[in-house]
Amino acid sequence: MTDKPLLEARDLARHYRVSQGWFKPKASVKALNGVSFTLQRRQTLAVVGESGCGKSTLARQLTLIEPPSSGALLLQGVDAAVADPAQLKVLRQQVQMVFQNPYASLNPRASIETTLGEPLLINTRLTKAERRERIEALLALVGLRSEHLRRYPHMFSGGQRQRIAIARAMIMNPAIVVADEPVSALDVSIQAQILNLFMDLQDEFGCSYVFISHNLSVVEHMADDLMVMYLGAAVEYGSKKQIFARPLHPYTRALISATPALRPVDRRERIRIIGELPSPLNPPSGCAFHKRCPLAVPRCAVETPMLRMIDQRQVACHQVDQ
Amino acid sequence: MALLKIKNLRVEFGSFPAVDGIDLTLEAGELLGIVGESGSGKSVAMLAVMGLIEAPGKVSADLLEFQGMDLLRLTPKQRRQLVGRDIAMVFQDAQTSLNPSYTVGYQIEESLRAHLGLRGAAARQRMLELLDLVEIPDAASRASAYPHQLSGGMNQRVMIAMAIACSPKLLIADEPTTALDVTIQAQIMDLLLRLQREQGMGLVMITHDLAVVAEMAQRVAVMYAGQVVETGAVPGLFDAPRHPYTEALLAAIPEHSRGARRLRALPGIVPGAQDRPSGCLLAPRCAYAQAQCLSSRPAVSDGVRCFFPLAPGSAHD
Amino acid sequence: MSTATEAMPDYPRPFKAFWQGFAANRGALAALLLFALIATAALLAPWLSPYDPIEQFRDHMLTAPAWAAGGSRQFLLGTDELGRDMLSRLLHGGRVSLGIGLASVLLSLLPGVMLGLLAAFHQQWLSPAIMRVMDILLALPGLLLAICVITILGPGLVNTVIAIAIGALPGYTRLTRAAALAEIGKDYVTASRIAGAGSLRLMFITVLPNCMAPLIVNASLSFSTAILETAGLGFLGLGVQAPLPEWGTMLSAARDYIERAPWVITLPGLTILASVLAINLMGDGLRDALDPKLKKIS
Repeated sequence: MTDKPLLEARDLARHYRVSQGWFKPKASVKALNGVSFTLQRRQTLAVVGESGCGKSTLARQLTLIEPPSSGALLLQGVDAAVADPAQLKVLRQQVQMVFQNPYASLNPRASIETTLGEPLLINTRLTKAERRERIEALLALVGLRSEHLRRYPHMFSGGQRQRIAIARAMIMNPAIVVADEPVSALDVSIQAQILNLFMDLQDEFGCSYVFISHNLSVVEHMADDLMVMYLGAAVEYGSKKQIFARPLHPYTRALISATPALRPVDRRERIRIIGELPSPLNPPSGCAFHKRCPLAVPRCAVETPMLRMIDQRQVACHQVDQ
Repeated sequence: MALLKIKNLRVEFGSFPAVDGIDLTLEAGELLGIVGESGSGKSVAMLAVMGLIEAPGKVSADLLEFQGMDLLRLTPKQRRQLVGRDIAMVFQDAQTSLNPSYTVGYQIEESLRAHLGLRGAAARQRMLELLDLVEIPDAASRASAYPHQLSGGMNQRVMIAMAIACSPKLLIADEPTTALDVTIQAQIMDLLLRLQREQGMGLVMITHDLAVVAEMAQRVAVMYAGQVVETGAVPGLFDAPRHPYTEALLAAIPEHSRGARRLRALPGIVPGAQDRPSGCLLAPRCAYAQAQCLSSRPAVSDGVRCFFPLAPGSAHD
Repeated sequence: MSTATEAMPDYPRPFKAFWQGFAANRGALAALLLFALIATAALLAPWLSPYDPIEQFRDHMLTAPAWAAGGSRQFLLGTDELGRDMLSRLLHGGRVSLGIGLASVLLSLLPGVMLGLLAAFHQQWLSPAIMRVMDILLALPGLLLAICVITILGPGLVNTVIAIAIGALPGYTRLTRAAALAEIGKDYVTASRIAGAGSLRLMFITVLPNCMAPLIVNASLSFSTAILETAGLGFLGLGVQAPLPEWGTMLSAARDYIERAPWVITLPGLTILASVLAINLMGDGLRDALDPKLKKIS
């Protein structure tokens, strides 16, 4: 039973014009090249990819910082791509973000109380006492104490700062939280604490997550659905269970096999991909992955593969049949 | 004769022991993994071996030997000849470890010039050979590129080329792949393994990623808050950890909680300068702590630093 | 819920931490005391000066200071060529010089910060426009620019302040713009944007407090530049006009008496030196205390 999705992206695209000097025309970087997905209530969508795949651009689109160059972004039925500033201000309260670097995502000159109170101050008419109450409630939920309110970010460890960042994201009770590599900068044991916190908050508030990560073992734990991106487009999209059980796209398989595994039984046969990520200013013709793909055939250099439904998930590859 | 022998190495900054008495040995051609989280002292320990700890840090040890040579008593001249030549190090962020104002070819040649005395055409020849050895395609044109023009993976290969330029006996790699994408990481790992085999180097791999160590190393040392808490062979140590911290690290990895909603997290954080316990350093966070653990520090016995090491099969479930 | 239980060491509040850093620098501390002394003396000039600074004692022209031959207790620091008491003129002159310094810093700092923030936040067209205007102002050296402004506006106290302020404006604009641009790229600014902050809040509440360190240091150092420029303009006869006492005009008027009555020129010169030195040392101390990269590892 799937009711109307909370978030729906249709062919979301974002291009940047980059100057190449005085005498050459401006180049176009297709940071995001037609991405579509849906997100339901209480669900976690993991976005996986390496640097340059467009996941940060996607994060900026979803948190409404930048409008898309084309495509639609439907948030609870309203298309954010064509919304006016007033509508955007309301929509923004529904999507919040947790950043990767806990050392850069909190204002160094603001106390924790000021930082946590800012979203409430801007968006609600709560009195100072009411704001304080809500802030203290959130602090307790993330495992910190009220005496921490008057302190400044540099007095906290990385894990604690990330808790504060999560509290700030949750303080408006948003429907969607975009988490951009939230545990990549943390130690393994702290990572486990923070991931548990994410799960607990999802249970408590019923929010949905768009969880961006390059760490496949974290993704396997957290995600319901999974979208693998390469150079601005999705190459595989479906349920986590299906994709991990039987990854189809060569890039997905390469990613999974390249991830080191503790137990020999978990290790997959390494799919070696050669070379480096192509420059987004000069993307390959046809399939963006064909120059590094072990399964490439001449057709791949000419025709860009479209996402097709194969084995209960979407794959964009000519060489995958069933 | 062991390649590297360390006994009771201490590195102190003021009264804070960043490295609190560790013992390690490494044989020639062996791959040792040092695993720990932030504050474990793993990087500081290896910097001390290289002689790169400056004041106000103080380095002391009962024994710190490389191929029988006492590293604590080297004259600056001897140290310059040794470090970068017989012992080399590769760092985490290649982009900031390379000089942004010189081409990568020049920087490799500089290393060759300083340690092997090569010049001119001979240096250039060797430099190109090295770039080929680290699998950089189109070496001749890449040699005249600047670090910011190359990707992270390429820069890391350049760093490795500089490190192996003089065919070192010991290579220390400090989180060499942490800043890289996972597919590039796999390539660099393969490269390091291949070079280690071909050149017969001892390799010390410092990382926080247990899975990397499990795939690459022969032996592993687990560090916590400046101490080595367990050493053992791979995969034995991972199959049957004997120290509660090793067990907790393994339990916290998502793979070990497949299907469960919550991960088994170790509560609390690593002690800092202000709150260093007088007893066992892990005791405040340890699920098995007893009265003795809170009052006195355990010594290392049979490779484990614990009063009550876990018996195989008795893991807390 | 998972908790993060651990003891937190007692960190001092930001101002206390700054003060500890500042006070550790002995030179800066001494400079602060010296400057406080000069500023207090200048502030209390009407009560401290024995005489009216423009009153001329025709019988006591060019009297030496009390400790020199021919001096008397009546005029502790001697008198100038028109018989005016040096001590009183120096004290009142301090009011003028320091007052001009303070006013010009404020008059250039506030618009400079505003323009810098506007330029940083509107990169497309406002930024180049503002920065080109600043470049034009920077084309002329400071004192020369001040002279140009005075030529247009005419000499006098207020115009001196305006002239010096215009000269200092581009510095603040550039500094603020550079510091703001560095902060804008950081995640915490994006986080405020996602929380719904508008441009005004982002500029003044989110970003500006994080740009204060270089601004404070520059402000204290340009204070001393302002004093020097005031003296320079006064020396050229373009700044503060007679008979208002001002250290630079006092220097200018005393040019002819260097051999006969050296105190008339040395005393104002020394006060200028002392003030500028104190402010510069203080500025250095501020920079060291506010710049995190120079903080010692304890």
